Amino acid sequence: MKFTDCHPITNLVFYIGAIGFGMCLVHPACLVCSFLFALVYYSIVKGEVRKYLGRILMLFMVVSLINPFFNRYGETILFVYFNGRSYTLEALGYGLALAGMFCSIMTWFASYSVVMTKDKFLFCFGKLAPTVSLILTMVFRFIPDFQRKLQQVSGIRKSIGLSTSSGTNREKIKHGMNIISSVTSWALESSVVTADSMRSRGYGSGRRTSYSIYSFKKKDQFLLFIMLLLLLITLLCALNGGFTAEYTPSLYISDWDNAWTIIGVGSYFLFLAIPSVLHLIEEIIWHISRSKI
Amino acid sequence: MSIEFVKEYYYVICIVILLGAFLLFVRGFESRKPGAREVVILAVMSAIAVASRAVFVMIPFVKPILGIIMITGIAFGVEAGFLTGAVSALVSNFIFGQGPWTPWQMFAYGLAGAIAGFLAKRKIMGTDRLLLTSFLGYVIVQFIVGPILDCSSLLLMGRTMSKEFVFAIFAAGATPNGILGIATGVTLLLLCKPMVGKLNRLKIKYGIMEADAKE
Repeated sequence: MKFTDCHPITNLVFYIGAIGFGMCLVHPACLVCSFLFALVYYSIVKGEVRKYLGRILMLFMVVSLINPFFNRYGETILFVYFNGRSYTLEALGYGLALAGMFCSIMTWFASYSVVMTKDKFLFCFGKLAPTVSLILTMVFRFIPDFQRKLQQVSGIRKSIGLSTSSGTNREKIKHGMNIISSVTSWALESSVVTADSMRSRGYGSGRRTSYSIYSFKKKDQFLLFIMLLLLLITLLCALNGGFTAEYTPSLYISDWDNAWTIIGVGSYFLFLAIPSVLHLIEEIIWHISRSKI
Repeated sequence: MSIEFVKEYYYVICIVILLGAFLLFVRGFESRKPGAREVVILAVMSAIAVASRAVFVMIPFVKPILGIIMITGIAFGVEAGFLTGAVSALVSNFIFGQGPWTPWQMFAYGLAGAIAGFLAKRKIMGTDRLLLTSFLGYVIVQFIVGPILDCSSLLLMGRTMSKEFVFAIFAAGATPNGILGIATGVTLLLLCKPMVGKLNRLKIKYGIMEADAKE
């Protein structure tokens, strides 16, 4: 079972864990784990990583090198600029850590956007707010509809010389606004019909049920249990100082001789590896079963 | 530990507070049991706000989304404005990619709609004061919505806040916020009158959103 095919709650718990801990743990080992697995899983779900890697590394460089200019603390001075302000090694280390955190969060979110589709999102939060989730469902449905209509109207207006692609900017904007305005009238009128149709079918007369294709399987149970267990261990190690990392004013990073650090980083590593490993297992099984044929 | 703890986890704590605020708002909205017409019209306005970006792909920087959210606020009041803003931000992030900015953007856009609704109730924003409305639209985006959006990167990257860092982040955000603000002002200038007219007509013709209209 691939991670994308798992139950939405399992997906959500993973991302809350990965992003939440990703924001809080600034121990270098944790950051390396987070960034590494975020990139690996990104490349799995997107199928390409080279272009993204170029962009994210640029961001990483910029954030890490610029940060020390805003951070005056630190003991080891690398160089002095302007009116005697110092660029310190500790601040650079801190900048590297923050940039690593920032970039890994960005990368996790990039794969989140692919994994947590609209229906999964609505499944997770729909029960919490039935009316708002109904509004969201409708918006998702209306957008392609309105875009089609916007294109139709702009096509018609283009044929009478009122296009958004020629003329001065002033004219273009004015024509564009006119298109929006006319599509709005159409949408509002038809929305009243939709609403009346909903009411005559009994909207608001009882609890709204919703259909979902997700079932909570044994594997999801097992996976969720493992994930929560690993998160708990990581949290316990964090509370016991396993991930202590201070960059400024002086560098202090908890070392490998601390048992809490070893256990904590280990469990964090295993937790973050889950989606990629699931995908790998699936690929191997597929490979074996195909070679049998 | 307490103050140290807050300093370490600015971002996470702010997100928890934001989510709590959303939850309170949504609970209030749900318990009111809004009718079918209200639900559909809020959905239509959010969808228009998001889809309208497609008209201006030819012209850079023109994003009417905030303008349309504010128009909804002006026509239908504070609550409808907030909801339309938050929903539009969430949905547009489903299209353009989610990120750590999503909750902030939802809150900022919702706030823009709510402020517009509030000012319209006080007769400060509205169709009879088009220039003022459009200027206020710019001001709201430049000085309220924009800084809230900048907060997401500020809090994510600034564990030790220094004055210079805060200043740098807000200065870097000022130009894009200004562009977005001008786009919003232009949208309000051109669209406020026709759109609010249409929405008001809907109120009279079908009697929707009456709770807001009566107040």
